[in-house]
Amino acid sequence: MAKVNKRVWLTFGSRSLVEKPILWQMARQYPDVSFDIRQASVTAEIGIMAVLFEGEPDEVAGALDYLKSRGLTVEPIEKNMIES
Amino acid sequence: MSYVRGLKCRECGQAYPEKGVHVCETCFGPLEVQYDYAAMRGKVTRESISAGPRNLWRYRDLLPINGTPRSGLHSGMTPLKRARNLEKVLGVRELYIKDDSANYPTWSYKERVVSVAITKAIELGYDTVGCASTGNLANSVAAHAAEAGLRAFVMIPHDLEQGKVLGSLIFNPTMVRIEGNYDDVNRLCSEIADKYRWAIVNVNLRPFYTEGAKTFGFEIAEQMGWKLPKHTVCPTAGGTILPKIYKGYREFIHLGLVEDNQPRIYSAQAAGCNPVVEAIQAGRDLIKPQKPKTIAKSIAIGNPADGFYVVQAVKESGGWGADATDAEIVDAIKLLARTEGTWTEPAGGTTLAATIKLIESGRIPRDESICVCITGNGLKTVEVVVDQLEPPASIPPSLDAFDRLMSGRATTETLPVAV
Repeated sequence: MAKVNKRVWLTFGSRSLVEKPILWQMARQYPDVSFDIRQASVTAEIGIMAVLFEGEPDEVAGALDYLKSRGLTVEPIEKNMIES
Repeated sequence: MSYVRGLKCRECGQAYPEKGVHVCETCFGPLEVQYDYAAMRGKVTRESISAGPRNLWRYRDLLPINGTPRSGLHSGMTPLKRARNLEKVLGVRELYIKDDSANYPTWSYKERVVSVAITKAIELGYDTVGCASTGNLANSVAAHAAEAGLRAFVMIPHDLEQGKVLGSLIFNPTMVRIEGNYDDVNRLCSEIADKYRWAIVNVNLRPFYTEGAKTFGFEIAEQMGWKLPKHTVCPTAGGTILPKIYKGYREFIHLGLVEDNQPRIYSAQAAGCNPVVEAIQAGRDLIKPQKPKTIAKSIAIGNPADGFYVVQAVKESGGWGADATDAEIVDAIKLLARTEGTWTEPAGGTTLAATIKLIESGRIPRDESICVCITGNGLKTVEVVVDQLEPPASIPPSLDAFDRLMSGRATTETLPVAV
């Protein structure tokens, strides 16, 4: 199956999330999914990253679901597209 | 003649040609339209603008199109009202209401952004436009696309109420209900924007679309007699309008069309969804996402796409942010209606309620000019006030019964009216 690219914003919305190595843990679980951090802003309280994920569709979807299950906010790079 | 000089990434500065792209390929930052302001000097003047049509295209030199406007020829130039009754109630000297509840054809500020996006879509060769929306944006895209003869696709969450659907369906777009939650709708729209050669107005045309919001600020300045209000209070949802009103003010100052009175801009949000106001008040640049819970659904966006830029504009101007509870929002809707004859949706109620708080807290001085931005019409959200208004009296068809009613009212009318 052809590889896919997903551009997403990851938000680490609390100090406890910022202080955990969640991306490393994801990489251990999904070793065939590459991730490329294009910009990031991280403080003690909150972290936001623009990340490009690449891999097989199921693997990328699994990796993103894993990040959500760990409490991260995962959004398309456009963020919210549903306007009133 | 066009003064547009392409697109540029707001984060890393990389340049792009004018086309349907919205994020930088390198850093994924948003793209912004670039203009040749030096070339405008002496050509874009009060006189040249005043000689333009009585619609938002009178500012076309400062909008990102190259050809003829193709949409919105009757949009914009909405009332700027001196709110003398509200001034008395709030105890302030100079208060204005910029009233986009009267914006044609679908009664919200979205006419401004959609007019620019549709014109740009035609210019770039698109034959299909689209959006994902629960209300005002869908209404506006559907109406403007119908007039421009474009195909329109409107994506909506599957559980959207019938009443919200009708305001778009009447214009005959292709409407698609998407099963799933808002995250699913967002993800699908992102994929559609990637795959289909459609102009999704607030996605791949976003750099052009957002520029239309500047006309809200341009009109305030021109209608005030070529000057700026010292304080402008604006609702924040996705974060489009506030930074663009401020940009519009700065452009007019830069071109020498208005004096630089160092205008301040303020963000208003509902307390049940206040990620931007929370960041402003906490002194943080980054937005913490929230799960919205408010009646002000049109501004209930938990992680606004341009929230960071709202914070930047507010900070740069010396403004602030305030939020309002649902009860305060409804009270403000009723207050605006009974004092100024303007019926706004909850976004407008939020803005007025926040303005009151900013005045009462001393953030906005009572003796300086204030403009409250009303961005949508209350007729679209009757459910918010339907249980909040006293039902009309019912009497038999006799003068005696009417007299009895009037004598009763005389007593109640002496009571103070709660705000």
